[in-house]
Amino acid sequence: MEALLHFLPQVWFVILGLFLFLYVLLDGFDLGVGILSLSSSDEKRRTMLMTSLGNVWDANETWLVLMAGALFGAFPLAFGTILNALYLPLMLMVVGLILRAVAFEFREHSNRKAFWNQAFGVGSFIASLFQGFTLGGLLAGIKVDAAGHFAGGMWDWLSWNSILMALTLVQGYVLIGSTYLILKTEGELQDTHFRTAKLAAWTTLIGAVLITITTPLVYENARARLFHQPQVYIFAMIPVLGVLLVWLLQQSLTNKQEVPSFVYTALIFLLTFIGLGFIAFPYIIPPTVTIYQAASSPSAMVFMITFIGFLIPIMLFYNIYNYFVFRGKVVSSEHD
Amino acid sequence: MDFFSNTVALSRAQFALTAIFHMLWPVLTTGMSIYLIVVEGLWLKTRNPDYYRHARFWSKIYLLNFGIGVASGLPMGFQFGTNWAPLSEAVGDFLGSILGFEGSMAFMLEAAFLGIMMFGWERVNPAIHYLATILVAFGANLSTFWILTANSWFQTPSGGDMVNGKFIVDDYFQAILNPFMVNSVLHMFLATLETSLFVIGGISAWYMLNNRHPEFFAKSFKIVLAIAIFITPLQIYIGHASGDQVYRYQPTKLAAMEAQWETIPAGESANWSMLALPNNKTQKNDWELSIPKGLSYILEFKPKLSEPVLGLKEWKPEDRPPMIGLIFYCFRIMVGIGFFLAGLMLWTVMQWLGGKLSAEKITQQKWLLRIWVLAAPLGYLAIESGWIVRCVGRQPWTVYGKIRTVDAASHLPPGEVLASLSIITVLYAVLFICAMYFGSRIIRRGPDLNIPIPGHKVDKEVVLMESATHIPDSRPLETQQ
Repeated sequence: MEALLHFLPQVWFVILGLFLFLYVLLDGFDLGVGILSLSSSDEKRRTMLMTSLGNVWDANETWLVLMAGALFGAFPLAFGTILNALYLPLMLMVVGLILRAVAFEFREHSNRKAFWNQAFGVGSFIASLFQGFTLGGLLAGIKVDAAGHFAGGMWDWLSWNSILMALTLVQGYVLIGSTYLILKTEGELQDTHFRTAKLAAWTTLIGAVLITITTPLVYENARARLFHQPQVYIFAMIPVLGVLLVWLLQQSLTNKQEVPSFVYTALIFLLTFIGLGFIAFPYIIPPTVTIYQAASSPSAMVFMITFIGFLIPIMLFYNIYNYFVFRGKVVSSEHD
Repeated sequence: MDFFSNTVALSRAQFALTAIFHMLWPVLTTGMSIYLIVVEGLWLKTRNPDYYRHARFWSKIYLLNFGIGVASGLPMGFQFGTNWAPLSEAVGDFLGSILGFEGSMAFMLEAAFLGIMMFGWERVNPAIHYLATILVAFGANLSTFWILTANSWFQTPSGGDMVNGKFIVDDYFQAILNPFMVNSVLHMFLATLETSLFVIGGISAWYMLNNRHPEFFAKSFKIVLAIAIFITPLQIYIGHASGDQVYRYQPTKLAAMEAQWETIPAGESANWSMLALPNNKTQKNDWELSIPKGLSYILEFKPKLSEPVLGLKEWKPEDRPPMIGLIFYCFRIMVGIGFFLAGLMLWTVMQWLGGKLSAEKITQQKWLLRIWVLAAPLGYLAIESGWIVRCVGRQPWTVYGKIRTVDAASHLPPGEVLASLSIITVLYAVLFICAMYFGSRIIRRGPDLNIPIPGHKVDKEVVLMESATHIPDSRPLETQQ
């Protein structure tokens, strides 16, 4: 029983990580494409960018809903405290996601496509930025009382570090959005995104380096964990691997390789996630409340895992099938 | 207490606004998904292209609603954490699991297969496409099941007990199968279907009134009518059964629904107030119009009660719902609409049996069609009213008898909630106007009766297909701008 009480929250921590990773990866390129559409001067191009997402954005956004549901069920205390603490950035993120979603539907029926295309881009940007603030605010730590309830102020999430995190996440989304568009487009449009990907890879790297340097400097808690033997070797591996992956990515972008560009970007995301996961673990509300303290009752965790654990492969299967059905390049009306 | 400095009141207003607005959209998509199964099935069976065009036309309205539904639903889930953190912590074991199930079993299924249903006509074979349509409908209605299960549990919590301020579930299946669950799920399932049927019927009637494609829309009108024959009476029966459960499990809500201040002891007959002016201060109705013995018949089908009906005065003011008038009238609006729609169905069926709904004659039925157009929004009104009865009537409890609403809310600075409430209000107002505008635009444009049938290309399309053979995975032409 002791072992189970220890094991279940860990399993749920990993499942939450998986949902969040899938969200950041998949909706990450949706949002990245949205941000990229802001820089596109031509309405036809914007339309193509949006068409490339038409069949996938809502399923991709669902991973966020799932993540919230799983956090609620597995760690109710963390769900309450984190969302309470990050009230403003989360609400603004939701506003961004709403704008993005409805712009998608309204532009379809509007004569003023340009307006809704802009709204789509702006919504994507707002959502990305405030996701970064949410993540930054969470990693910076949340002030709680003895019962684990939020005890800080409404602007606690705003700091130099969370600004850095927000800007870097936007760069990361632009990077993965670019590599997604490399997969889905061709010709001149594809060339544009080889260029934006190269640029975004550099800016993301700069942001990541700055975060890697400042995090242990600013946060005592992170410092203690990072430089603790033997973890320090694992943590040292992550930046090394990261730089290697960015180098491989740049190579494949220079050689105009479509699939490797996307795969290396996805691997960079995965590596970052593993790094953040290691820093956070076992805290679900950094820096004080652990997954064991915030966990729901073991029966709830077992009950949920029986159903959701069983459904994860099924969900992955039909989502992959959806991508398979719509594989290949998007062709705009000008090709007709 | 001043509303603008009261966090609990602001959080309640925000949740109510979000819920009332969000509900408008999935109501149509869940109900219409079943209609889409019917028309696509008819197309596959009869190969009549009109049914295919029906599927294509109505799914445009479907997609518009789905997008707004997804967008407006996001703040709801988040609000449990942001505004109702103590509640989330107390009932997370159950509510979190159920919302997790809703996301993973239902919502993901609907969202993933929606892409194929909307854009996949040329990309998958008809059987797979039909499967996608069925899975979208299955996912949508499974969402109804889980959400109503969660809400029913709030009304009749079971399967465990409160331990140190936290609800510990010992038996999840008992919690899921809580007393209200079956009736509530059925009531909402039928409500979404009935609302959608009358929306589809009303829009079809509008086209026929204007003599636009009357033959085409007579088809959808008759499909709607055929389903409504079963749905409308069944909904009245399930509604009655739900009311009966309220009588047994939530006496404060029943007293509020009937604005019944005084207890009526067993063995007496109870009058039913059809209309009343409830006065919260004097604790009585200033005026009422009642039907003698009405309530006894409604509750027990006999002139004298065998069990007492408890009046509101049995409870202290802080233990009973506020806003009696709102609950009282919302209940009557819902019931009135339920009977009106059933009556409209009966009248139309009589015309049908009289042979007056044939494609040539139907456009002459001006009054019938006009009333169908007017009836299109009534389902929404009934649903919103019903939910107000359900959730305002549950007050002062969030989890009936277990957790009070004042104890469920997060201690946020009122300014913060006021800010988000203002943003959401403005955003929803804009969304509503845009949705009405674009929705009416889709309707004014009407169906595309020249849309090519999948696999049966006209010459012009063949040429276009030729040019696309360099890129075998191009999107179907009709999804491009």
